[in-house]
Amino acid sequence: MSMNPDRRRFLGGAAAAGVAASSMNLDILKAESLSNELKKSGKRVLLLWLAGGASQLETWDPKPGRLTGGPYQAIQTSLPGVQISELMPKMATRLHNTAIIRSLNTQIGDHGGGARLMHLGRRDEPNLKYPDMGSVLARELGRPDLQVPDYVSFYTATEGRGNAVGQPGFLGARYAPMFLTTDNKPANLSRLEDITDLDHKERADLRQLLSNRFAKGRVSESLGSHNVAYGRVRGLMSSEKLFDLSDEPQQVKDRYGKSLFAQQALVARRLIEAGTPFVKVARAWWDSHGQNFETHLELVTELDHVMSTLLDDLEERGLLEDTLVVTLAEFGRTPTINASLGRDHFARAWSASLTGCGIKGGTVYGATDEDGQHVKDNEIGAAEMFATIYKAVGIDPHHEYFVGSRPIPLVDPGTHAVEEVLA
Amino acid sequence: MFQAEPNNFRELRTTSRPDIILRMSHNEDTGEVFVGSSDAKVYQVNPGVENPEFIPLEGHTSYVMGLVDTGKYVVSGSYDKSLIWWNKETKERVRQIELAHDRWIRNLAITPDKKYVLSVADDMACKIWDAESGELVRILDSHIKITEQGFPNMLYAVAVSPDGKLVATVDRIAKIKIWDFNTGEELNELEAPKCYTWDPKARIHAIGGIRSVTFSPDSSQVAVGGIGQIGNVDHLGAAGRVELFDVSSGEKIHMFEGDDKHKGLVEQIIFHPSGKWMMAVGGDHNGWIQFMDLEKKEVIKQVKAPMHIHQMVLADDFKMAFGAGHNRLAVWTFEPEAAVEEKAEVSGEETTG
Repeated sequence: MSMNPDRRRFLGGAAAAGVAASSMNLDILKAESLSNELKKSGKRVLLLWLAGGASQLETWDPKPGRLTGGPYQAIQTSLPGVQISELMPKMATRLHNTAIIRSLNTQIGDHGGGARLMHLGRRDEPNLKYPDMGSVLARELGRPDLQVPDYVSFYTATEGRGNAVGQPGFLGARYAPMFLTTDNKPANLSRLEDITDLDHKERADLRQLLSNRFAKGRVSESLGSHNVAYGRVRGLMSSEKLFDLSDEPQQVKDRYGKSLFAQQALVARRLIEAGTPFVKVARAWWDSHGQNFETHLELVTELDHVMSTLLDDLEERGLLEDTLVVTLAEFGRTPTINASLGRDHFARAWSASLTGCGIKGGTVYGATDEDGQHVKDNEIGAAEMFATIYKAVGIDPHHEYFVGSRPIPLVDPGTHAVEEVLA
Repeated sequence: MFQAEPNNFRELRTTSRPDIILRMSHNEDTGEVFVGSSDAKVYQVNPGVENPEFIPLEGHTSYVMGLVDTGKYVVSGSYDKSLIWWNKETKERVRQIELAHDRWIRNLAITPDKKYVLSVADDMACKIWDAESGELVRILDSHIKITEQGFPNMLYAVAVSPDGKLVATVDRIAKIKIWDFNTGEELNELEAPKCYTWDPKARIHAIGGIRSVTFSPDSSQVAVGGIGQIGNVDHLGAAGRVELFDVSSGEKIHMFEGDDKHKGLVEQIIFHPSGKWMMAVGGDHNGWIQFMDLEKKEVIKQVKAPMHIHQMVLADDFKMAFGAGHNRLAVWTFEPEAAVEEKAEVSGEETTG
């Protein structure tokens, strides 16, 4: 019997990435992950990836009364003196757990390059394949004792999907994402009906026996990665129910709403609750070169509802304290409004948000000038953003992996977390 | 009477602005216009001169999206949800209804007798106001508030028929509702679905909607404008589209679409009083004016505009046209070139364009 294509792709990818890791000579011993204590702490990250580039002016950094401000007004939030766009009335009352960062200058204004930077936290290097944020967090926070995937990535829209980097790089395929595109459930994760559970287990045992025999006397990270990936298949199969919302109470489903983004956020909460350390839910596509205000009326309204519902749900379940919810994109949008009433790509001064685990809620870090054209206070880049995310969940951003004898810190040397937003 | 001919239509002058001029009303008595701006101000302007002064009327706090002239007042509506009555002479604010709508006001219209002002907003209500007292007379509100895809609907435009009996309102999902002005009864619902593009796969959001509506001079037909189906909903990447309906039967009479060089939204449609032709204005990053022959049922002329035009008003005699748009105010004429040059010589003015 042939393996189903999706499982084969997972394993094939694992093997290929394992070879890649091997060729880069990752020193597994030196590159061991952080303490088991951290893993046991149950900290998790949920990334809401606003693919295509959401406008900071229609979300976290409005400029009321300026020509760049657009038609929507700013509203007062639960934080004295802090305003956000009137398109986010629900989030405006919930900023006590959230830090807004208004001073990102990431410089790369094309979708591919910007998305790559904001997934890897650094620019590419020709001879080294860096892991993305999800893979790092899967490695550092994932618990081998839990039968859940370590890294799940939802990206259903087709536009920009290729930009949503999910690469374990030198960490090896064990930390590759489960990438869901066409369905909210992993395709073909179920055991085939004509194979009994015993059959399935025995096949796995046989494969393991043959693999162990082959590996005897050989030292290879790719083999190790390959075997670990196979070893996780049964665990992943047992987590299938997490993706199935049919057993979720109707009241909870109604609360989230019917949109695809809402449903994926609810699955993400289930995964987080079960212990998955990193989930990315991509909501595409925000690239509003024409009719920015109509597009943002649709998408920010949805974001406001889904994000506020998600945060409430996590908080009510006691999960928010250990879950960091991040909104991020490849860049923001131009303050200047074009003739199609659109906003174009803008990486020079834009915003993100951090909520929950490790975050000093109710803070605003950085500021742009009155028209939003430049960062005027506390400019940061992708590296600082990543350092902040890592530190918020207890990971030392200066922790080093070793690729061969070369030390690779989690973030570029010389960068620091934004302490002002950390609890 | 002057006979405006599309072939004589040409640009006279433009004035650059830092803001986006979104709406306009024409004061037939003085030749001046009032314009509504993205800087939240209403301005009084004499468009007939070079480098006109923009005299501000301040009171709104967001984009001014509707302007009508009641004779005594100019009434403005804004994304700030309020309506303001302005004294045309003193430019003072006579009345402000702070929360005229629960959501953003998109446009205004006025009845032919100038007794009532109509406003439409994203609360999906069309409200009819007494133009003199400001009292709310009636609400027309059966457009759905949430689209099938779960997004907020938007109510873009409203028109009153020249006989004063009918109201038409148009929305994001390309529904057209015809109402009895006097009773508020909904008479018919028409649709122009090609004007709304929902992308369920690549980008998972929508673009388009019907942006303009107007009745024919005999009130028997209604024309709506927007943009055709778009492949990439990030951009206004399709030709402007005008659909013409018979009001009583609800049947579509014709669809006019410009060529690929004139992409974007139809922001406004204007019938010539003869009923023989009409014009549509709008744009994407660029602007254009399109003329349609209603007897031949074809586009007869398309002219590039100096900006995306959000609104155009014509002098009653159809000699002059004034356009509000992106960073510009523009003036056109239907007068033959020789006639304008002759006038300029008499007045000592120079023309540009």
